[in-house]
Amino acid sequence: MLFLIAAGLTLVLGIMDFVFLAHGSQVMIGAYAATALTAWTGNFYLGVALAIPLTFVFGLLLETLIIRHLYHRDHMEQVLASFGLILFFNELVRIGFGPAALFSNLPPMLSGAVTIFPDAPYPVFRLVVIGVGLLAAVMIWLLVTRTRLGALVRAGASNRTMAAALGVNIALLQRFVFAIGACLAGIAGMMLGPITTVESGMGEPLLILSLVVIIIGGVGSVQGAFIAAIMVGLVDTTGRVLLPHLLRSVMDQATADGAGPALASMLVYIFMSVVLVVRPRGLFPPKG
Amino acid sequence: MAVLELQGLEKSFGALVATSAVDLTVEPGEIHALIGPNGAGKTTLISQIYGSLAPDRGRILLKGEDITRLAAHQRVRKGIGRSFQITTVLMDFTAADNAAVAVIARQDNAFGMIRPAASDDGLREAAMAVLARVGLAKRGPIKASDLSHGERRLLELGLALAAQPGLLLLDEPMAGTGPEETARMAEIIASLKGEAAILLIEHDMDAVFRLADRITVMVEGAVIATGTPAEISANAAVQEAYLGDLSLEESSSGEDGS
Amino acid sequence: MPGVFLTAIRDGVKQHRLLWLLLGLLGLFPIVTSVADLPFWNDVAMRIMILGMAAMGLNLILGFGGLVSFGHAAFIGLGAYAVGISQFHGIDSGWLHTLIALGLTGVLGLVIGFLSLRTSGLYFIMITLAFAQMLYFFFVSLEGYGGDDGMILDRAEFAPFDLYEPLRLYYLIWVSLALVSLMLMMVIQSRFGLVLQATRSNAGRVEAMGLNPLRFRITGFVLSAMIGGLAGVMFANWQEYASPAIMHWSRSGELLIIIVIGGMGTLAGPLLGAIGFLLLEEFLPEIIGHIAPQYAENWMIIFGPMLVLLVLFVRGGLMGLITSRFRGGG
Repeated sequence: MLFLIAAGLTLVLGIMDFVFLAHGSQVMIGAYAATALTAWTGNFYLGVALAIPLTFVFGLLLETLIIRHLYHRDHMEQVLASFGLILFFNELVRIGFGPAALFSNLPPMLSGAVTIFPDAPYPVFRLVVIGVGLLAAVMIWLLVTRTRLGALVRAGASNRTMAAALGVNIALLQRFVFAIGACLAGIAGMMLGPITTVESGMGEPLLILSLVVIIIGGVGSVQGAFIAAIMVGLVDTTGRVLLPHLLRSVMDQATADGAGPALASMLVYIFMSVVLVVRPRGLFPPKG
Repeated sequence: MAVLELQGLEKSFGALVATSAVDLTVEPGEIHALIGPNGAGKTTLISQIYGSLAPDRGRILLKGEDITRLAAHQRVRKGIGRSFQITTVLMDFTAADNAAVAVIARQDNAFGMIRPAASDDGLREAAMAVLARVGLAKRGPIKASDLSHGERRLLELGLALAAQPGLLLLDEPMAGTGPEETARMAEIIASLKGEAAILLIEHDMDAVFRLADRITVMVEGAVIATGTPAEISANAAVQEAYLGDLSLEESSSGEDGS
Repeated sequence: MPGVFLTAIRDGVKQHRLLWLLLGLLGLFPIVTSVADLPFWNDVAMRIMILGMAAMGLNLILGFGGLVSFGHAAFIGLGAYAVGISQFHGIDSGWLHTLIALGLTGVLGLVIGFLSLRTSGLYFIMITLAFAQMLYFFFVSLEGYGGDDGMILDRAEFAPFDLYEPLRLYYLIWVSLALVSLMLMMVIQSRFGLVLQATRSNAGRVEAMGLNPLRFRITGFVLSAMIGGLAGVMFANWQEYASPAIMHWSRSGELLIIIVIGGMGTLAGPLLGAIGFLLLEEFLPEIIGHIAPQYAENWMIIFGPMLVLLVLFVRGGLMGLITSRFRGGG
């Protein structure tokens, strides 16, 4: 899950060297699009199938209208412009869909549980999410390392002018990469919708978490993002499970239950700071 | 005592040996040129002396003191000045402001937060003296980004000189400058003889053979010869490895005057 | 050429008269509000001064030091909690609160600065955000001090002043802002200020001059953290409330917005930006309310695109506009 968002973001952020914080908005828009289209068509699969190209088109539009004017600006301005976009999209969905959270219902086939281990039923949909995450990982890896497009993207990343001199249409390439990033975020949003709630601003906590993933993995490294996503997921989950138990042994239960989740949230950031203090450019900085 | 002494300096990047057991001394007041084909490890060597790269093995002595483990800015305080291969000045500062920062750095009171720096006449005069030293006295109010490339090289040299270093590391100070500025640069470098020892990387062989007291030739990370310009021109290993017969004759002809 | 010496410094404080003018206006503002009988606007002015103060502090490292810190709200929060937690344990003196806040933000600024400044660029933005998030969740986890809900508190005792008397708090904030302005003016014009700006321009050259850029950056970082702490003390007294929400990451973003609206790397810019930002926050909902009342709450939908347009088309923020106007007029 985290990887989906992080992968899309690392494409934009690392490979295109563009600090884009409105990625969370794209997650949110993916979730809303899927939910609305599911309601409209009455079919979850159809809704998702329609929503995916929609997020892609959305990414294309955003790039053409605003983002491409910002490539040559400094980080600070990129941060602010995308912050402005976050505010805009949050309000937009609040106006369009109302302030209340939406719930999206899963078709029966996906909402059941399977029993993998005895006494531990596992929701089918979570398996689907994991499956989609892995699929996306494999596809991005293939795309980047095995196709002509991937080679172009990598060329564009390491040297824009050079790639331009080779006759590569950089503007088009960047638009395409950005749209793929938007699409990945959108898919993440669609997967996320049924697990949590669909509401305005839902993407932001994830955005920060996926930025953490990218930073730990090393900006611009898809493989780094993949490994870091797993690590962050592990740190987060073990923190959430183990910390309350640990705390309960040193303080009374009420305090421990209150402090546990918050401390667990801290753990991810502590993890990242430690990584950065030891390796200021992340675990897998891209070569060169 | 030698100003600079390198003892068995080694540095590798993975399988690539950039510096292989280099011994080298720079004597007081001499201009010591470091030449060799591209990729011979000249800049890597200078970076280790300056402190931006740590050697894997070996020692660096500055006037007899071991500075191998000091950070770059600490070495500068001990008397090393450097100009970089890619011009490194404060681009959005004027020439005079560049000089003022260099003067502040030398004066040991850079953390002063009370007195306004602009009304400090002593600072201004010292900054102007730094500019005058490299012939840029009239260019004070010009932003560094608006200076010509050659003027920026001169400014950088002036900034390095402001700290009154005992050893100057100059990495291709004449690369890309116009003929007039090249001449001025050579003149200034020559005028430093006796004031500071200089380790000079330069591809302009005319300038090297005219200016240098001694020349060290590096090939693939190793020193293959050190000697006076005459000795180097006559060295068979150098001829074979680097200079080639034709260019050698051209270069040594420029040496007649000295 | 004495007139042009140290232009790097002069550019930064070029519009310092504007700052004193703004401060003067803010000092006289309560007279206007009492004549016009609009006490609510005193509240807005106090918020402007508090956020302006924090933004001016952040601008020291952002505008003059070139370091984009995305976690500055944490220091405001620390300042606010210094008041809240001290009061919880029976310390009521506001002077003492201020001292504690400055000490706390100073020490934490030193630690965070030391660790963060090993990185640069995007990594620096993210690691400062990470530290801010850590502190945010840390205070959320402190159930004893209100946890997520924060803690309600009384205005502190700044003897001999009673902050519950009318306008005492207003002028306490105003004086703090004036002191911060004076201090920043002094620091920016000093040798330290010049070297700090030199590290922004090219840290490699500063190092080659024999100075350690890290020490200047850390000093700047600590100073700006402490100013944030002072703003936090004022914030807690103004709001009579301290909660983790003060240090939410979106507030760090807000501070960046304020600085960019006003003009980065100028002394008066952040205060101007705070005025612009908070006036927009007050007036945009009203304006929208007149046109389409049902959307008055959603003022951000206008503000967001305004921000994007500002970044795209106006360089140097409001200060840039003012400066180019002056230039245009000769």
